[in-house]
Amino acid sequence: MTRALDMRSVRLIETTVLVLAGLLLAVATVYDLALNARVNHRLVADLRTWRTYTGHDYHNLTVDRQLLGTSSAHEVVCGNTTPGPPEARTQLCLVIYGPVVGGRRGVHGGWYTTAYGHDERASRYGCFGAGAQGRCPAATATPVDVRPAPRSG
Amino acid sequence: MAAGAASASVEGAGTGGQAAPGLGERGARRSRWTGALAGACGILIAAATAEIVLDGALAHSPLIPKSPQIAGWLVGVGERLGFRVFLIALLVFTGAYAILLELVRRAGAGAISKRYAIALVAVPQAIVFAGPILLSTDVFSYIAYARMGVLHGVNPYLHGPITISGDPVFRYVGTNWLHVATAYGPLYTLISYPFAWLGVTGALWGMKAMALAASAGTLALTWRCARVRRLDPAFALLAVGANPLYVIYTLGGAHNDLLMLLAMMAAVSLWLSGRDAAAGATVVAGALVKASVAVLLPFMVIARRRWQPILGALGALAVLGVAGYAAFGASGLNVIAALNRDAAFVSSDSFPNEIAHLFDKPGVFPVDHDVLKLALVVILVHLLWRTWRGYDWVAASGWALLAISVTSTWLLAWYIVWSLPLAVVVRDRRLLVATLFVQALFIVHQLAPLLAPVS
Repeated sequence: MTRALDMRSVRLIETTVLVLAGLLLAVATVYDLALNARVNHRLVADLRTWRTYTGHDYHNLTVDRQLLGTSSAHEVVCGNTTPGPPEARTQLCLVIYGPVVGGRRGVHGGWYTTAYGHDERASRYGCFGAGAQGRCPAATATPVDVRPAPRSG
Repeated sequence: MAAGAASASVEGAGTGGQAAPGLGERGARRSRWTGALAGACGILIAAATAEIVLDGALAHSPLIPKSPQIAGWLVGVGERLGFRVFLIALLVFTGAYAILLELVRRAGAGAISKRYAIALVAVPQAIVFAGPILLSTDVFSYIAYARMGVLHGVNPYLHGPITISGDPVFRYVGTNWLHVATAYGPLYTLISYPFAWLGVTGALWGMKAMALAASAGTLALTWRCARVRRLDPAFALLAVGANPLYVIYTLGGAHNDLLMLLAMMAAVSLWLSGRDAAAGATVVAGALVKASVAVLLPFMVIARRRWQPILGALGALAVLGVAGYAAFGASGLNVIAALNRDAAFVSSDSFPNEIAHLFDKPGVFPVDHDVLKLALVVILVHLLWRTWRGYDWVAASGWALLAISVTSTWLLAWYIVWSLPLAVVVRDRRLLVATLFVQALFIVHQLAPLLAPVS
């Protein structure tokens, strides 16, 4: 009798722990889903920004979310400067951040990298804009007039 | 599989035998409705599966791995499989599955005939079998490891597929796994070896056929175990065989987890027949396919408090271990090293990773791995204590498998299927609810492309 009672208490405790664990998992899942949706929204804007800025409608673009800090919402988008297989040509990398306006975000600088350079520091040159300061191996960052992303096209 | 045929195949309509005529008529009507609605759910499940398979047959999709063209005869019917269509089909499948289970649960045992239940699970599985490999490149790793050993004389426990970069299967192996030696047990690697002689396409079909056969075996054993335990076998069959993660992800990817599940359910079935030594041996055989199933053994031993399962396990370990050692050397038996290596990986769908994001951390750190291992040990010790005090060892094993997948930082859809066949053959319904809840969360986590479409 006492043992049965004990087991009922154990079961009650187990169920309580399960419900609490389930709540934690549910909250974490929904939070992460919302986070992923926000990131997707931002990345789509980043790709559109690169295409609009360069005038190239290329689809094999790489987005680096880690270089400028994952939580910073600052991304680097790279793509070929001329038609060719992915990363087979000189790459133009743009530093993109800020709010999504009209499906695009602001370009705050960038650099070029050699083909198959994988955007490693040694492969970069021609840094421009405030967002690219200190990103090239030599002190090549020169503040230039960064064109705002056109509103049409 | 029309709804009309469904109602015709319903048997035992409210058969209480002694029921009053009025009540029997109501019961019969309700049972006919159950059959018809179950048929409608079956049609939705089949349609959602067909949508994924037909669109997937066209390839050129991020959801379909690069593969030899094995479903070319389906090309032209569908369109390129995008995230949106896939997720909508997955949600339709999941919704129909949930309604189907609730219908069958409410109707009670006997409301759905065996033949009808088999048809409901066979149709989507046959559709998946006919189509391309879905959502994972793992099957190409299986084939690559087999070809490494058989055709190239390379030990797959020491080297990754990168060593056979000239082999035709190489281009299909996932880039993350090119340098990784196999983490699967030596029994599975030996089973896969004959497929190496079939060529890549032949091996692919062989792997798909083996996955389908293992699925059929698992479902047959699940039915048997549920019947022996006086639970509704039709409900058990449908809960496993029509499960979206089981059909689309596990069978769709021809994952060797299905072989592990077959061994697991065979062990439970043998144990229920009183053949404890054979049950212990079968658990070891399963663990030499995929190590996770080894967690059943201590619960099995504690439940009976007899030596037979241990002796059976030791016997199987001796025979299969010698075979594994002869084929692969000591590295083939070092399952712990493979598990430790995999435990260090992090997938974006894992719950620890989601919880880390919730607390504003970028991801899981090494210290978190230690905390998770500790949590898992605490859970396992509690389950062992409960089993010692009389709790059903099959349920405890199911909880253990669920705990392994939830605390793992490397969570894949087919890992949260492990506990499902056990959950439907135990009386503690909390296990089934928890398993389905975790699966539902996994599916919810996939939905980001529906909320913010990727280009």
